[in-house]
Amino acid sequence: MTDFSLILANLFSRKLRAALMLVAIFFAFLIFGVLAGVQNGFNNIGGSAGENRLVTINKINFTQPMPIAYIERIRSVEGVARASFANWFGGYFQEGKNQVVTFAVDPEFYLDIYATDYRLKPEDRAAFMADRTGLLVGAKLAERWGWKVGDRIPLSSNIYTNRNTGKQTWDFTIVGILEPAQENADTSVAFFHYAYFNESVSFGKDTVGWIVIETTDKALNTDVSKRIDAMFANSPAETATDTEKAFNQAFVGQLGNITLIVTLVVGAAFATILMIVGNTMAMAVRERTKEIGVMKTLGFPSARIFKMVLGESLLLALLGGLPALAAAALLLEMMRASVGFPGLALTLDFTALGIVIMVALGLLTGIVPAWNALRLNIVTALGRQ
Amino acid sequence: MRIFNQIIAVCAINLKSLPQRFWLSLSTVVAVAMVVTVLLSFLALAAGFKRTLDGTGSESIAIMLRDGSQQEVNSVVALDQVRLIGEAPGIVRKEDGNPLVSGELYVIVDGVRRSTGLKANLPLRGIGKDGAALRDGLSITQGRMFEPGSNEIVVGEGLIREFAGFDLGSEVRLGTGTWKVVGVFSMNGAVFESEIWGDVTVVQSLFRRGSSFQTVRVRLENPEAIDLLRDYVSNEPRLKLEVFSEKGYFAGQSSNTVSLIQNAGWPLAIAMALGALAGALNTMYSSVASRSREIATLRCLGFGGFPSFVATMLESLVLAGIGGVIGSLGIFLFFDGFSTSTLGQGFTQIVFTVSLTPALVKQGIVLALIVGLIGGFFPALRAARLPIVAAYAQG
Amino acid sequence: MTALISIQNGAKRFIKGRETITIFDQLDMTIEAGDFIAIMGPSGSGKTTLLNLLGGIDRATSGSITFAGQRLDQMNEGQLSTWRAANVGFIFQFYNLMPALNAARNVELPLLLTSLGSGERRKRVETALKIVGLSERAKHFPREMSGGQQQRVAIARAIVADPRMLLCDEPTGDLDRKTADEILSMLQLLNKEMGKTIIMVTHDPEAARYASRVLHLDKGRFVEQVAA
Repeated sequence: MTDFSLILANLFSRKLRAALMLVAIFFAFLIFGVLAGVQNGFNNIGGSAGENRLVTINKINFTQPMPIAYIERIRSVEGVARASFANWFGGYFQEGKNQVVTFAVDPEFYLDIYATDYRLKPEDRAAFMADRTGLLVGAKLAERWGWKVGDRIPLSSNIYTNRNTGKQTWDFTIVGILEPAQENADTSVAFFHYAYFNESVSFGKDTVGWIVIETTDKALNTDVSKRIDAMFANSPAETATDTEKAFNQAFVGQLGNITLIVTLVVGAAFATILMIVGNTMAMAVRERTKEIGVMKTLGFPSARIFKMVLGESLLLALLGGLPALAAAALLLEMMRASVGFPGLALTLDFTALGIVIMVALGLLTGIVPAWNALRLNIVTALGRQ
Repeated sequence: MRIFNQIIAVCAINLKSLPQRFWLSLSTVVAVAMVVTVLLSFLALAAGFKRTLDGTGSESIAIMLRDGSQQEVNSVVALDQVRLIGEAPGIVRKEDGNPLVSGELYVIVDGVRRSTGLKANLPLRGIGKDGAALRDGLSITQGRMFEPGSNEIVVGEGLIREFAGFDLGSEVRLGTGTWKVVGVFSMNGAVFESEIWGDVTVVQSLFRRGSSFQTVRVRLENPEAIDLLRDYVSNEPRLKLEVFSEKGYFAGQSSNTVSLIQNAGWPLAIAMALGALAGALNTMYSSVASRSREIATLRCLGFGGFPSFVATMLESLVLAGIGGVIGSLGIFLFFDGFSTSTLGQGFTQIVFTVSLTPALVKQGIVLALIVGLIGGFFPALRAARLPIVAAYAQG
Repeated sequence: MTALISIQNGAKRFIKGRETITIFDQLDMTIEAGDFIAIMGPSGSGKTTLLNLLGGIDRATSGSITFAGQRLDQMNEGQLSTWRAANVGFIFQFYNLMPALNAARNVELPLLLTSLGSGERRKRVETALKIVGLSERAKHFPREMSGGQQQRVAIARAIVADPRMLLCDEPTGDLDRKTADEILSMLQLLNKEMGKTIIMVTHDPEAARYASRVLHLDKGRFVEQVAA
């Protein structure tokens, strides 16, 4: 027997009570873990967002187009390493509800800039460059529809009309699968040639939705942004340039304040659990007043008893919390697979934060009972006067 | 009758001793209140959003979008098509015989949220001269309607509440033009209150849209006339349009967001409720333990076990019920009527107010009472079965 | 024989409200190694307080307490804990076993305060349980045992660390006559065979007969009688 087994025996001396407290703590940390994962997902929307990556959009709003001519002018700006562009296609497969995130892109530079996010076999890349109607689909998207290289599929647009057919559908040949090159890469996307798009749309010709820029050095980001926006000031399509990360976060911000909701809910859950566990711990230790008195009589030093009581609440918090974080990680894994929302995962940061909170919970709920145990007078405890 | 008196007596004794267990009882109340607060805040958000969308639109207004475009922002409608619609049967005509029809343009512009200072998408709608007549419940609450052909705009009350820079009389830069806010309108809390309206021809020219529109809006002679309009549209090859009743269109926009918020709210509340249940069980078991001598004494005096069961259940239900009421009251006082906005399916912000309905309060209280019921049941059983001698062992 | 523990000029007073209650004053007593003392006296005579002082779990208001040359009244709490762990075994009226631990682990408890390895501890626990005749009950929890059995576990716990002195507070107060006699015989045996010095507080004249010396405490004074 050790002090630890003594702590364990005390903790589970009332099995029902211990189980109830563990359940309460488990759910608190399950909520924490899942919400932290969702938060992480939102933080990582749009992939890795390289630090030297900028996005230029129409100043009015990012849904407004810009002339395609801007791309060459931007490429000549000092500090721009390379630049590419894309257009939102508003794609869907067969039925309107089957949305497919589809971009018409400037193929070469786009794939170069996003090589950090997507891995593509060299032969697939070559095939894509060679085929005007080629389509690159992300691994997740391919898996969802059972698409493979060589398939001919139609994709429809809820915005554009194909001039050649008068319909809103374009035919594509899948020439490659985009594999994720990093954890947060969203592979439920499809890319095709802007040239194919531009030659066949009935309107919106020669305009692009947004331009993505890689600077030669992230220190130049601000300068480059200013130079670009100044270049198009007072033109019919003024621009707004910012880092890709800021752009992504602004987009998420449109949904409402996710962080605030997460913090409030987790806060509410924790305040509740803290009260329940704190109260119950205090009660449990009070019930054991006599036992603690006996331990002291046997010669256990007060400090050792203090540590044991504190150890008990710490153990309780960890026993309830650690499995909850594991369960949250599992749940997020399942959610990620079914929803296709990359970044939905319990990161090391949040796991560490969770453990810190567990320790804090354990110390906070145990400190008062432990202090009382430390101060306990043997004679009073044993009722011997 | 005797058992009834017993129950009353035991319950009274029990409730009177509640203050002795103040802190533990309080923790149950707070835990349940938190659960109800979290649940109701989500449900009230969803209800508020749904109410805004459901409250928008009339059965006797039809709107038409290009087939397959799903959202106004994706749609394109040509001037010729608007003219063709004007010849459709079943639509209301003005006194001069011309059709009551409005071709409209829907452009997304940036606004700045008052609360966070962050940019958000706002809809700038160009409406025809009959646009106002095609909106039921519209009233100008401040200033006046814009003059046709001018760079004047009117803004919805919801939009002004949430976004900065649109106060009456101010000048706003939207796109390449500068606009003057000359009026504020309300529309019974409808989605339109989150919009900016200007003259369609001015919007077309400032946003270089030529003579194209995005939606066509007409008033139907009666709600059933929509079928006449649909037949007409489908038999006219130049009109590849989809026809919706205005009400149907907006109701269809609501489902996703509402179910998303509700889908997040219920699992969260249930997970928290399980935590609170653990607390409630704990509280009630210790309540029974601390009253065991009292219960046993009553049993000695000839009271049955059932009154102790009822009294314990009652204590649990009262604590949980108080928690439920506090939670609901908290939402009612601090969150109900709170104005906020989120991205709607049209890719623009929809402003809505959080709405706590009696039906939601009922759901919250029911959840609280379920926690109280389960949290009280097992301890109550223990109270009822408490052996009389046990209470006297080990003084 | 040499003195094991002695009190010189001991006094114990409580302040209760505005009143000062004197339990005893100018108390002197000496207990020799190997003694088996029974302390008797009416309720409120200060028996339990005296036992608390001898066991170092309470402090005298004044006076000195000496155990084998060490001054207990000059030790701090930590030193007293260490001293108790090494020298004193306690036996209480209501056994005071840890409900969460089985018999063997209850007995093992004081050994956690020693530097003994787990093998040695197990051996000592086995021996102690054998002495009290409960070897086959090692895995039982207190709630699964009768009062007499619990008290025997408590005795095993008191002797497992091999202290020189056993302090018993009404050790048979909660037991029937037959069981009480078994427990008292066991204490007598521990005194005679293992040389434990035993100080026992009791109400029961029958119990006091097992002692080699009976002290009557009345209003804080001793009235000494030699057992028959």
